[in-house]
Order: sequence, then structure tokens, then C-alpha cells
Amino acid sequence: MRTATLTAALKAKGTAIDINGVETITTYGDSATEYNFVRNSVGITDFSHQRLYRVPEETGIDYLDELFPGNVAQLRFGRVLHTFLPDSEGNVVADCFVCNNDDEILILCESAVSDEELDAIFAEAGGEDAGLTVLNDTHSIVGIDGAMAFKPMKEIFGTDILGLLYLSIERYDFEGTEVGVIRGGKTGEFGYLVIAEHDVAVKFAENILGRVEKLGGGLVGRAAHDILRLDGRFFNITAEGVEVRDPLKLGLQWMIDFEKDSFRGSEPLLARRKAGLTEKIVGIVAPKGTAGFAVGAPLYIDGALCGKIAAANYSPVLDSEVGLALLTVGKAYASLDLTLNSADGVAVLSVTMPPFTPKSLSVKLDEL
Amino acid sequence: MAKSNQERIEERAAILKPLKEELIRRLTLDYKPEDIHEDVSLLGAGLGLDSLDALEVVMCIEAVTGVKVPDGRPEILRSLNSIVDFVLEKRGA
Repeated sequence: MRTATLTAALKAKGTAIDINGVETITTYGDSATEYNFVRNSVGITDFSHQRLYRVPEETGIDYLDELFPGNVAQLRFGRVLHTFLPDSEGNVVADCFVCNNDDEILILCESAVSDEELDAIFAEAGGEDAGLTVLNDTHSIVGIDGAMAFKPMKEIFGTDILGLLYLSIERYDFEGTEVGVIRGGKTGEFGYLVIAEHDVAVKFAENILGRVEKLGGGLVGRAAHDILRLDGRFFNITAEGVEVRDPLKLGLQWMIDFEKDSFRGSEPLLARRKAGLTEKIVGIVAPKGTAGFAVGAPLYIDGALCGKIAAANYSPVLDSEVGLALLTVGKAYASLDLTLNSADGVAVLSVTMPPFTPKSLSVKLDEL
Repeated sequence: MAKSNQERIEERAAILKPLKEELIRRLTLDYKPEDIHEDVSLLGAGLGLDSLDALEVVMCIEAVTGVKVPDGRPEILRSLNSIVDFVLEKRGA
């Protein structure tokens, strides 16, 4: 089992479990409280479960462009491409940030498979020839997410951090050591990822945690992020990504450059696109505590079966159950009255996602 | 009387179809209408449109639906579904 140094430093405060061979902190006690840290203040999360690769920019661009459906060849210095790692059928294996960090490309992969399976895909595509290396032995990843995440980041790195655009990467100094900072959260609030050598990451996490606690925030585990991603409508490879693996059904076409000649799994994926969608993901809500509101539960519309639940959780901000349903494409619309488990089951409503306005949407960083 | 599910589907589809087609045309997006999920974020994450594109989106909404988009309501432009919700609200549907 892989345990990052940051995880080892924090796990005494929380509950750590083995997820796909990686020790991961799921909660520090109460996921609802941790969720509210992010929605209202700031949460610090150990994201070191993500597989982190580095490849020299000189050899990495072509190598990665042949692998990923996003257009790596057009990725400018300092920018981050949000795309996915496909399998040979063009289905989603990992949710990825591909970061052009000047002379190197960093790849952050969050997946529902083991490190070994991911490594095998990168190796099969020619990783060794491209100079690909794994950084998890030397680096940890700290997430800073929340409506006020820019405040402690500004205190540590200066006002320059406010100019960091969404999906950008920049090198910053932290106590005399260079760290990589990505702006790219998956919660709907402000989000940053700090990539640093293990010891530096631990020091950074301790430093920023003190500042975050003064703002009413704290440590956040993976379980809270499952809710934040769901009601914030960010793709979660370990939730709906397990139930539905076709990026077209998941609505991830924006991660694909359809003008590219080819990428891993492009032929079957493009064939499915040509044949047309039969099902797709739609947001749903139900009253708090609705029995049977769970992954796999069938959904009905006007007495007929129309799909099933692909992700489900309780949303503290909505105070209701929230989920994603995989519905037949003709019924995949918001604002429809569905029923759960049977034609005369409990009412479920399909909704526009996210069904609330994140606080960060009203903050203008350039005016701070 | 409350609308039926089928009426609501037709109402939303009648806005979404021309809206997607016009967005693709105006912003020269390399997508087919069915490639753009109704909940995908238009600005920043998702389609990654910028502030200049946002103006084009506003003009597109007004041209397709006849509904004027007020300033200072960024939540309207979050996704196609949020635009449709706003248009239906303005129409009193």
C-alpha cells in the first residue's frame, strides 16, 4: 500500500483507509462539517492519492497528445488541460490535469484503478522513451478549496496568486523552496492544488492550516469532496465514473478535441459518437432521507422505466438528497417529475446542476 | 394546471436546440449540438469560454429567445440549463 508523507502526517487526525492500494483519509470526523468548511470558508485536503507523473516538455508533448483526447499539442506554457485518460475502448480510466510547467509536463491522475494499472497504460504508450517518471515517491499534493481559499493563499504567496487564472500552473516560493501551484478545484468554490516535495508539503499544510482555522475552516477528507463534486456538478471518477464509463454518456465531450486525428481509444469512441447517444447523465434531487435513493435504483417517468441512479449523496447545502441519473436521452431533461423504484414510487425531480449558486461565483478576485 | 413531463421536455428542447446551434455557429465550436451537455459549465471549467465569449453568449440568448439578459447575474450564464431556466422564468412559463 502506498502512503504519502503528507497522508502519514495527517492520518492521526482522521480516518485513513486503503482505496485501490493507496492510503487515503476519508474524513476527520464529520463529512458535513468538512463540506461546510469548503462551501463557507476553506478546507485543506490531502490529494496525494492522485498519481503524479512528470515528463520533459521536449519529449512529453507528442507522447501525451497521442494518449489523451484533449489537445495537449496546443497546451501553452503555464496552462492546465483538464481531460481524461481513456482505455482502448475510449472509456474513462482517470480524470486528469495535464500541466505545462515550462520545461516539464506534470500529469495528475485521479482514478478508480490501482497505481499499477495506470502505470501500465502510460508505459504501454511509450512512457519510458518519453522520459516519464512517477513523482509520488518524492512529492505530495495539498488541496486548498473554499469560498475564501484565496485569503490564506494570498497571505502565503502574495497578491500575485490572485492573478492565477483557472486551469493555470505557476511556480511559487514557499520558505525558500519552489512549489507548483495549480488553480483548479472541483467543488464550485475557489480551488488550488499545491505540489511540493514531501517535507515541504507537510510544512505547507501545517502553515496554511493555522491560517485556515482562523477563518473557520479546517481539514477535509475525501468523503466530503464526494459530496462537493456531486452537488457542484464536477465529474467524480470514483462515483458516477464507476457506474458509467463512457465519456459521451457522462457529458465529458468538452474534455475531447474531436478535431484530433487519433488518441487512445479514439476509433470506438468516435464510432459511438457517430451512432448517437442513447443515455446521458442528469441531476436529480429528492427530500432528505428518501428511502432507496441510492446508486443503481431504477427511475420511472410517467409509469415507464427511464434509467437509474449513478451517484447519490446527501447535500448539506440543499438539505436534501442529490444525485446523478443515467436516463434515456429522450427523457434526459431538467425539471421532470420522476419516481423512484417503481411507477408509483417516491417523487424525484430532475434538476439543473448545480442546483444552487456557489459563493465563489459572487467574488471578483481582480477587485480584491 | 401543471404541465406534463412531455410538455416540459418540448418546452426545454425548443429553446435548447436553436441555442446550441447558434452558440456553435457564433463561437465556431468544434462540436455537434448533442456534444454539449446541458449542465456543462460554459465559462471557465467545461467549455472554457472567456469573458469576451460571454458577451457573445448573451447576444446569442437574446437573438434566439428574445429575452434580455440583465447585467450582474453571472449565474444565468453558468450552463445551457441555467439559461433555459432563466428564459422560462422570464416568459412566466
